[in-house]
Amino acid sequence: MPTSLAARCAVVAVLTALLAILAGCGGGDDKLTMYSGRIPELIDPAIAIYEKQSGQDIKVRTGDSPTLAATLVEEGSNSRADLFYAQDAGSLDAIEKAGNLEPLPADVLKLAPERFRSRDGRWVGVTARSRVIAYGAKVEASELPDSPLELAEPKWRGRVGWAPTNASLQGYVTALRLVEGEDIARKWLKDMVANDTQVFDGNVPIRDAIAKDELDLGLINHYYVAEAQAKDPDYPVKVHFPTKDLGSLVNVSGVGVLASSKHKQQAIEFVRTMLGKAAQEYFAESSKEYPLLAGVRPSKELTPLAEIPAPDVDLANLGDLKGTLALMRETGAL
Amino acid sequence: MSDKSSGNGFAPPCVGLRVRGLKKSFGAVRAVDGADLDVRSGGTCALLGPSGCGKTTTLRMIAGLERPDAGEIAVGGRVVSGEGRFVPAEERRIGMVFQDYALFPHMDVAANVGYGLGRRPDPGRVREALDLVGLGDAGKRLVHELSGGQQQRVALARALAPTPDLVLLDEPFSNLDASLRDRLRQEVSDILRKAGVTAIFVTHDQEEAMSIAEQVAVMRDGQVEQCGTPEEVYLRPATRWMATFLGDIEVLPGDAVRGRARCELGSLPIEAHLDGPVDVLVRPEGIAVGVSGPASAASAEVVSRRFFGHDQMLGLKLRSGQVVRSRRLGYPAWHPGDHVQVWIEGPVEVLPRTGGRVPEPAAAAG
Amino acid sequence: MATAAEPAGRPPGPVAPARRADGGRASWLMGAKRPPLVLFALGLAVAIAAALPALYLVVVVAGESAAAADAVLTSRSLELVARSLGLAAAVTAGAVAIAVPLAWLTVRSDLPGRRAWATLATLPLVMPSYIAAYMFVAVLRPKGLLQELLAPLGVQELPQIYGFVGAWLVLTLCTYPLVLLPLRAALRRLDPSLEEAARVMGRSPVEVFRTVVLPQLAPAIGGGSVLVALYVLSDFGAVAILRFDSFTREIYIAFGSAQRTEAAALGMVLVVVMLVLFAIYARVRGARALHRSTPGTARPAPPVRLGRWRWPALGLCGGVVAVTLVVPIGVLAYWASKDVASGLDAAAIMLAASNSLFAAAAAAIAAGAAALIVGVLCVRFPGYATRAIERVGYAGYALPGIVVALALVFFGTRVALPLYQTVAMLVFALSIHYLPLAVGPVGGALMQVPPRLEEAARGLGRTPWQVFRTITRPLVTSGVLAGAALVFLHALKELPATLLLAPIGFDTLATDIFRQTTTGFYEAAAIPALILLLIAAPPLYLLNEKGVSSS
Repeated sequence: MPTSLAARCAVVAVLTALLAILAGCGGGDDKLTMYSGRIPELIDPAIAIYEKQSGQDIKVRTGDSPTLAATLVEEGSNSRADLFYAQDAGSLDAIEKAGNLEPLPADVLKLAPERFRSRDGRWVGVTARSRVIAYGAKVEASELPDSPLELAEPKWRGRVGWAPTNASLQGYVTALRLVEGEDIARKWLKDMVANDTQVFDGNVPIRDAIAKDELDLGLINHYYVAEAQAKDPDYPVKVHFPTKDLGSLVNVSGVGVLASSKHKQQAIEFVRTMLGKAAQEYFAESSKEYPLLAGVRPSKELTPLAEIPAPDVDLANLGDLKGTLALMRETGAL
Repeated sequence: MSDKSSGNGFAPPCVGLRVRGLKKSFGAVRAVDGADLDVRSGGTCALLGPSGCGKTTTLRMIAGLERPDAGEIAVGGRVVSGEGRFVPAEERRIGMVFQDYALFPHMDVAANVGYGLGRRPDPGRVREALDLVGLGDAGKRLVHELSGGQQQRVALARALAPTPDLVLLDEPFSNLDASLRDRLRQEVSDILRKAGVTAIFVTHDQEEAMSIAEQVAVMRDGQVEQCGTPEEVYLRPATRWMATFLGDIEVLPGDAVRGRARCELGSLPIEAHLDGPVDVLVRPEGIAVGVSGPASAASAEVVSRRFFGHDQMLGLKLRSGQVVRSRRLGYPAWHPGDHVQVWIEGPVEVLPRTGGRVPEPAAAAG
Repeated sequence: MATAAEPAGRPPGPVAPARRADGGRASWLMGAKRPPLVLFALGLAVAIAAALPALYLVVVVAGESAAAADAVLTSRSLELVARSLGLAAAVTAGAVAIAVPLAWLTVRSDLPGRRAWATLATLPLVMPSYIAAYMFVAVLRPKGLLQELLAPLGVQELPQIYGFVGAWLVLTLCTYPLVLLPLRAALRRLDPSLEEAARVMGRSPVEVFRTVVLPQLAPAIGGGSVLVALYVLSDFGAVAILRFDSFTREIYIAFGSAQRTEAAALGMVLVVVMLVLFAIYARVRGARALHRSTPGTARPAPPVRLGRWRWPALGLCGGVVAVTLVVPIGVLAYWASKDVASGLDAAAIMLAASNSLFAAAAAAIAAGAAALIVGVLCVRFPGYATRAIERVGYAGYALPGIVVALALVFFGTRVALPLYQTVAMLVFALSIHYLPLAVGPVGGALMQVPPRLEEAARGLGRTPWQVFRTITRPLVTSGVLAGAALVFLHALKELPATLLLAPIGFDTLATDIFRQTTTGFYEAAAIPALILLLIAAPPLYLLNEKGVSSS
């Protein structure tokens, strides 16, 4: 350890410099900052479209939607984020209720159908996805149930997989509660648990399990299978759109501008671009999701949105997460 | 459990310990190089020597903690090592007190003492052992609550509790304060005698060895240089090295002729039959100082004095110029410059000038 | 023979580390010796920093105790707590069962190549639990890699390995080094004369091990077990992949659905569990003197000859290493080779690697320094206050990474906004999350330094700081290095805090891997995973050489 005064001063100076560097490695406030709950591989090209069109760069923090939502709530008005691009409506709704979202201008909101945006006009959907029953090689098409409720029947015991922590499934349960009543929802959840339904922590593992023959059926979102099929035409998993009991419930991934944003105009531009033709076509072709912009057709293999039985449910209300989670915990699903 | 019927042809059971030709090397270092030892049953023997002489290794081989390269060890008449046999330490019925006591910190005193008595030690026996060392009430205490001296006594109780054939002590007093050491030496010696058990202890402290052991074995370079009673080894050192190692010695050149050795301090009768130039070895306490002395006394001048209270050490310059030391009573007081008479009182050892052992009379005759 | 009059004297005997009956001068709070004010203030600062996650929970729950209680006191919550505790107990038992024989074999026996085995056996520390979990699944799932290998033999399908059994296996194999490291250090420091004394008294070697060696190893085993249990309780990634319902999932879901109060309440349950675990551990450890009863260096014990037991022993070591290392690395390499074919962004990976290194190293240094402060306070100035400081430090480790992250989001945006989402804040988060890992080795090293040395230096006129600099510091360096190495290894693989607190663009290998695994494209995660293992190997070697102990 140096004893001379000069040496000690040098050490202190170096340490201070280091600290300054560390502290400085953060800032830079000119660019847009977005918290994204979507997989970068899927939305990076869309972001690139925005960056090219506007000449602006975006910094993206990737994570999973619920955690990012929790972070935004904690950050509150001190947040440095301008945008939140969520995997599902639930997270957006949570933040909206916490008062963190800025109202969007009407012309942006109108780009998406009414049922795919928030009632208060604070967030808007970008792409839609449908709940489906994915099935593997061992299941005959004729056996496929027309309603998710049938999956609780004894003949499917131990052969079905679901992801209770996934927001889309939680959204489905919320819709079920709203449309068919609390009791039916409770009974279904209880029966699914009793029927030895396999628990996964995400949609991708379910799809993989079906592909590996570990599972016969799974409740997931449609595009997971579509993108796997795009990579491998012989992919052993197929999808079925159940027509009853909100089986094909459509949910959205959407984006909102944060009230704490210091670049609101640019942020709104981003939203507008996401609902613009270029981005929407990209989503349709590459990630196989349903585009929301009128006039953009979904990928050929998909059942068009109009043909999917749409329940009479206000998507915005799918945000009653608290009740759903309580019910799922009570029945042992979570 | 002495195996009297083993038919190994060994000594009768009154032999507590018998060691023959023990050898042990650690790599290139020959720690023990042919050591022999006999200790009677119930006797106490001190293994004394400078560091590196092999005493601790010998002790550990007796305990069974090291495997000898060669030689035999018999405890209580039973061969435990040698003749192709090696009895492991846990089967030797030997008690051992380690230098740092090696008490188990996670057990209380009673559990420590009872450890060698099996899974369920008899509390009566434990109590007996503790009483023997004067710690009868300390059973429930924890080891770290005891003082050094108490710990040492617990270690002893632990070694004695299983009534072993032999007790080994490895420098048992070296970790104690000087004031405690003396008293504990005596106490431990008494305890061992009361227990009637054969005991070997290793020490580098000469006073300790001579005061509590009935037999002292001095080791040097892996061998036993001399073994005998304390008086024998002290007053009759067999070799020059022995003489210089144990206590102080003064060496006076002289001549031996027909049973008498003549040196500056007079002519002395000697036992051995030697001729020619010899060295007369005498302890400082054997050199008497006075105003006048016997006819054989020599004149000398006091050149130095150190007063120790109970004795004084004088440096005396003889006419030949040689300075010898005298250690006698503290009074009368002498001072540097005094002219005195000096003579020898007490046993001397005479060795040929060329070195070597003192020949036995039987061998020298004829 | 006087017994009552035996003078207590000052022989070089043991000194009970706890409070001495100093008469009226002893302060009940501080203990018999009062620490210097600067040191105590620093220790308090460290404690407050480490307590931030727990403080965050308290702040969130404050005022909403009804809702909080509702969340916690449901039967489902309690069931999940029980499940998680059960898993933690089972994993701890498993980890100890593996660590004890491995430690003994590599320290006390004449096993050929024991130093190499020792290093290899601790390598699982570098593997993040979620990677280990997905490797485990990839290999052992009913139609996974192993089944593919065995298909020619007619094996159609392997049995399911998800749930409790899978979680138990994976977590045991990931965490046993946390027990192995302190155990090896403790074994090395054992005084062999105790075992010799026991043998001479007629006990067989096995009995000696059971009655003399194991009890002395209890503090090391206990300390390692606490770390294992807390790790299991706060783990999220592995149990999710292995489909085991755990308590941390509750917390995660609650936070994710903006139910802060419920989430915080559940988090506090974890803190309470941690405190209880600690109390048990402290009770088990007891007031036993923790340093040797007499000074002097311990003669190293001669190695035990294994003879024909060598083969089963080698089989055990080889089996553990094969399962924890050879198989995962093999699979990763296989995947990496497939991924390389599809193109590789080397620059991005190298950048991520350097970021990982930097953040982990900085956290290790910070944690090492903090651990030293806490260690000195606890070992040299034992008392309620300093013990509390040590305990509080464990709060950050017992809570899942997401709680630590959110706590710093909360405090960071309110109190230190300029530092928010900077590398400095990330480093801060990592160091408080893993601080207890460093406190153990540092405390252990400090206890090996007799206070007498420092007292002698003080007597010779040196100030406490000089004493520390010249006497204590050189002697505890190895402990500090070991603690820092442990923190480094864990910080390398950390995920949730990095995702939330690092500046955007500060990718680490862990976030890279995360990104790949969310899409299910595991092959693409193989290369960052391999690089992670590579970076982590050198500090591991350091750990094994210097030895690690628990406090």
